[in-house]
Amino acid sequence: MTCQQAQTRLSLYLYGELDFAQEEEIEQHLAECALCERALLREKSWHTALNAGNTDVSLDLLAECRQTLKKAVSRSNFKPMPHAFRLRRWAELFGFSGTRWSLGIAAASFLVFAGFAAARWIDRNGLSAGMPGSNLIESSLISPSNVRIRDIQPGGGDRVHIVIDRVREQAIDGRLGDQDVRQLLLSATRDSDPGIRVDSVEMLKDQNGDDVRDALIASVEHDPNAAVRLKAMEALRRYTDDPGTRTALKFALENDDNPGVRSEAIDILAPANRSPVLSPDLAGTLQQIMRSERDEYVRLRCLRVLREMNASLDVY
Amino acid sequence: MRGTTERAGETALIRSAQQGDAEAFEQLVRAYDQNVLRMALNLLHSQEDARDIYQEAFLRVYRNLPKFRFDCSFSTWLYRIVANLCLDQLRKRKVRSEEPAWIETSDGQVDRFQFLPEQRADVNPERQLASTEVNTRIREVLDRLTPRERLVFEMRHFQGMRLRAIGEALGVTEEAAKNCLFRATQKMRAALGDFV
Repeated sequence: MTCQQAQTRLSLYLYGELDFAQEEEIEQHLAECALCERALLREKSWHTALNAGNTDVSLDLLAECRQTLKKAVSRSNFKPMPHAFRLRRWAELFGFSGTRWSLGIAAASFLVFAGFAAARWIDRNGLSAGMPGSNLIESSLISPSNVRIRDIQPGGGDRVHIVIDRVREQAIDGRLGDQDVRQLLLSATRDSDPGIRVDSVEMLKDQNGDDVRDALIASVEHDPNAAVRLKAMEALRRYTDDPGTRTALKFALENDDNPGVRSEAIDILAPANRSPVLSPDLAGTLQQIMRSERDEYVRLRCLRVLREMNASLDVY
Repeated sequence: MRGTTERAGETALIRSAQQGDAEAFEQLVRAYDQNVLRMALNLLHSQEDARDIYQEAFLRVYRNLPKFRFDCSFSTWLYRIVANLCLDQLRKRKVRSEEPAWIETSDGQVDRFQFLPEQRADVNPERQLASTEVNTRIREVLDRLTPRERLVFEMRHFQGMRLRAIGEALGVTEEAAKNCLFRATQKMRAALGDFV
């Protein structure tokens, strides 16, 4: 393989889209050729740079799209095929005419036949033999998306015992202050869907209580989605005198990956419209941030707050 | 690769949605809609167009779901619809002249690349400037690709789809999709030159 051949295939190699022989060939060449090895590093670096440009989907836009789609779907003329129509099609398939009486006879005959066949089959195979490896008669109706797994126990050999809760949709209307509603909203702050989490935080933001504050702190510290963390942080603005909240905000300021979240943490810890009070722990945190922060805006915010506090810009 | 259980769950959802189960349809949408929206945003650089693509794609899925016969995977079918809509849109208008290089913020107009996630290790201002230039150049090059090259590149690089699935979604062979990706990456490499 020549260097030119190797270098033209580098991207496909990085994407894992070369066949086995081509991949072997290129790896062999790369092991022996420093020039192509450098070319591979360059190729990797533009792949990485490109990843930084991947658009982040805003949760507001996503929520808006979902809402509009839901409305459009509910307005749509599509209706599922009704049972009677399906029955008629089956009857027609077996040569029955579409009159009401003949359809009735067809359906009755079919049911008698099905019952007879099922009884013979169960008699021969037993009830549980129908689903090899499973004694859940309804297991074909179980979709992982509408169940919650509660427990998994080995059942010996290749058997397993799984305890599930089935999830069924049910609408609940109530006041934000209602205990049940509140518990649901608190639970929704830990939902797997970031859209649900952001909505629940929005609903809870004006609610009082330690449970709400603790849920918001947990979102700030642990939620994987920056939009949810920002929303929870905004909701914590009312609790800035609470030591636990301040600790969580400082934790976010020091550790959050997202500069928007870090900047929001500064805004809440030291609001721009209030002259900040010099507190050694906040000053210490900001001084540390000044040393490690690379986002220019966050650094500027730290600088401004430290100056307003008349605190040193360097670590004590 | 998605697990068998996940696929079985999806099949059950599709069958329920085919029977008119609105909740099942909603779950299907939620499984894919972030990727669909991201793909449309990446390709069209316009929230309005991305929103239109999202609506049109999922409405087409909804209307044609009863005809879906599992000849291909649901995701392939969905991406085929999204890809065709995006291709139409890319061909219909000159994206290059319409996309804003600036984003309106409360602090005024800001270069959109300032919003890109930063690399914490890179604290050198010169490197930072170079990195911004690379990003600008990358976007210029992406915009110079043909709609089909752009689409294949988006599907492979950002959506992580295999070339076989891309070929199925676009109605071309895997080899044709590979050639398209090859051309796209060649153009990227040539244009980026010493930038990286």
